[in-house]
Amino acid sequence: MDALHSLFAGFGTALTPLNLLWALVGVTLGTLVGVLPGIGPALTVALLLPVTAKLPPVSAFIMFAGIYYGGMFGGSTTSILLNTPGESSSIITALEGNKMARKGRAAAALATAAIGSFVAGTIGTMLLTFAAPAIAEIAVQIPPTAKFALILLAFVTISATFGGSPLRGLISLFFGLAIGLVGTDLQSGQARFALGYPELLDGIDFVTVVIGLFAIGETLYVATRLRKDKGSVIALKGNASMNREDWRRSWWPWLRGTALGFPFGAIPAGGAEIPTFLSYTLEKKLSKHPEEFGQGAIEGVAGPEAANNASAAGVLVPLLTLGLPTSATAAILLAAFQQYGLQPGPLLFVTNGDLVWGLIASLYIGNAMLLALNLPLAPIWAKLLLIPRPFLYAGILVFSTVGVYSLNNSVFDLFLLAIFGVIGYGMRRFDFPVTPAIIGVILGPTAENFFRTAMQQSNGDYSVFVTQPSSAFILVIVLLALVVPPLLRARGRRAAGRVGVQS
Amino acid sequence: MTNQSPHSPAPRARISWPDVLVALGLTVLGVLLFVGTQQIQSSGMNNIVGPRVFPLIVSFGMTLLGVLLLIGALRGERAEPASEEDTDPDAPVQLGAAAIILGGFLIGALILVPLGFVFGTALMYFSVAFAFGERRFGLMALVSLLVAVVTYELFTRGLGLSLPPGLLKGLL
Repeated sequence: MDALHSLFAGFGTALTPLNLLWALVGVTLGTLVGVLPGIGPALTVALLLPVTAKLPPVSAFIMFAGIYYGGMFGGSTTSILLNTPGESSSIITALEGNKMARKGRAAAALATAAIGSFVAGTIGTMLLTFAAPAIAEIAVQIPPTAKFALILLAFVTISATFGGSPLRGLISLFFGLAIGLVGTDLQSGQARFALGYPELLDGIDFVTVVIGLFAIGETLYVATRLRKDKGSVIALKGNASMNREDWRRSWWPWLRGTALGFPFGAIPAGGAEIPTFLSYTLEKKLSKHPEEFGQGAIEGVAGPEAANNASAAGVLVPLLTLGLPTSATAAILLAAFQQYGLQPGPLLFVTNGDLVWGLIASLYIGNAMLLALNLPLAPIWAKLLLIPRPFLYAGILVFSTVGVYSLNNSVFDLFLLAIFGVIGYGMRRFDFPVTPAIIGVILGPTAENFFRTAMQQSNGDYSVFVTQPSSAFILVIVLLALVVPPLLRARGRRAAGRVGVQS
Repeated sequence: MTNQSPHSPAPRARISWPDVLVALGLTVLGVLLFVGTQQIQSSGMNNIVGPRVFPLIVSFGMTLLGVLLLIGALRGERAEPASEEDTDPDAPVQLGAAAIILGGFLIGALILVPLGFVFGTALMYFSVAFAFGERRFGLMALVSLLVAVVTYELFTRGLGLSLPPGLLKGLL
């Protein structure tokens, strides 16, 4: 077993005292930002990138991985104790978990979420351990035409197929692509869209875009329509724990949620929202007490939370083997690899095996740490929800300023940050999803590179994309991903219209 | 699941002018991008795909999508504002709060180098706290300065970044 052998070597890397410390820092920070509203794992990794430039890559990625998994654990605490879902993937947890908490069952809801996340995260990481090297082996042979087609597929699925409005998703994507074009074209040395500013010749750092769209945009938006009542944070007495009955009712939902979540994360489907909804529907159908759903059924917390975490593990498969991010956080991890001069993809397993396997091993360790951190310490995390919002958002803004300023020690970047903040406000106000823009900024330049390489190899023959079998196959899927969902939706609307007329 | 349908396709919905403006702005952005591609020198001798091709695709795409959005907006489609953890969908919209944050941020950025990181970020912190409705001015000033000083120390000493000391040069 090659994968097992490499994994043991990875544990050797991850279990050094210093790397264990970075993992602990990562999972603690991840839980913290997962619990706090207004800040998430994507933003946190982006903020830490300039700061961690001096760390060895292995340590930095072990910390980032901890933040990535930790954010998922922390998010469930917020949705259970505070009835206001943040990320779309925790809407379900908020639905059932908060009802449980209101009935005085907060401890059980938190426990089933945390243990379910651990089970799903661990199984998901095992699947990653064996799937990733196998896929990487196949992926080495993918030609540039097919790589370009794969990126197109990620673009379309993330922005159009699974979003609320394909048009708005695509606009967000194209905005990101346009931002990614700003600066000097590396192949020809020509300036593009620099508007005469020398600062723009190096391009716009994606960190500025991410922090502007996420942190500043969110702060401006929340300020304009702030919830005036304090929100009812449910007090938690004692640790998160469950009784025998809770265990009995949680096991199968955890496993079923994992089985749903992992594959959805691994295909470029853009996040954990769909598997959590599917898991909820499934548990409701299978349950002996369907009447409890909507009133605080523990299965409705256990299944979706497991699906959420398993999909987080699944997202790492295309990221590590193909260099294809399928969520905002994954896109930022990709950019982090690039900052260290590494290109995620099949060759990464060969050229930087110790780093990849150290990272994968640290996922197992991080998961165990998170379980230990979340069960007994749940009351402490719950206290974070009581931080007064004026001071919380002010702090987020100041840290954003430090992160962006320290990129180039330049005030110009702060003005850019303000511009992207206003755009981020506008995107929330006018219902444009932020993730496609982030994917566009980070993946756009890579897409252009593959496009040009493919054209170079074909001597300028554009038909190469449809004559090369693997890229033609992917392009057909791209087309289907673009056309089918709107058709289905239109049919659904017509059907709903008929029912409406009849009744 | 709640049975919400934010996009109610009423046949003769009233046109939402903010939505039309946004769609118009995006269309203009697409056209401006196209104008911008004309200024890219495509000198590439051995380049089969020059530096212009990809920007052209992006500008066409942006213009087309902007026009589609504009058509929708003129037919009465409107965007549903996002709901976040700390927002109240029924609260009256206070654009003034956003203006205060933005103003504080821009002034803070301008004084960041001449007066120093501590005063610049303290002003930013103060203005956000004010915009979020905090009115205990003494406490706000204290926390602002404390956060700014601790951040400065943490990042310069702990992480070795260089931040502008400004007036406090030699003191910190």
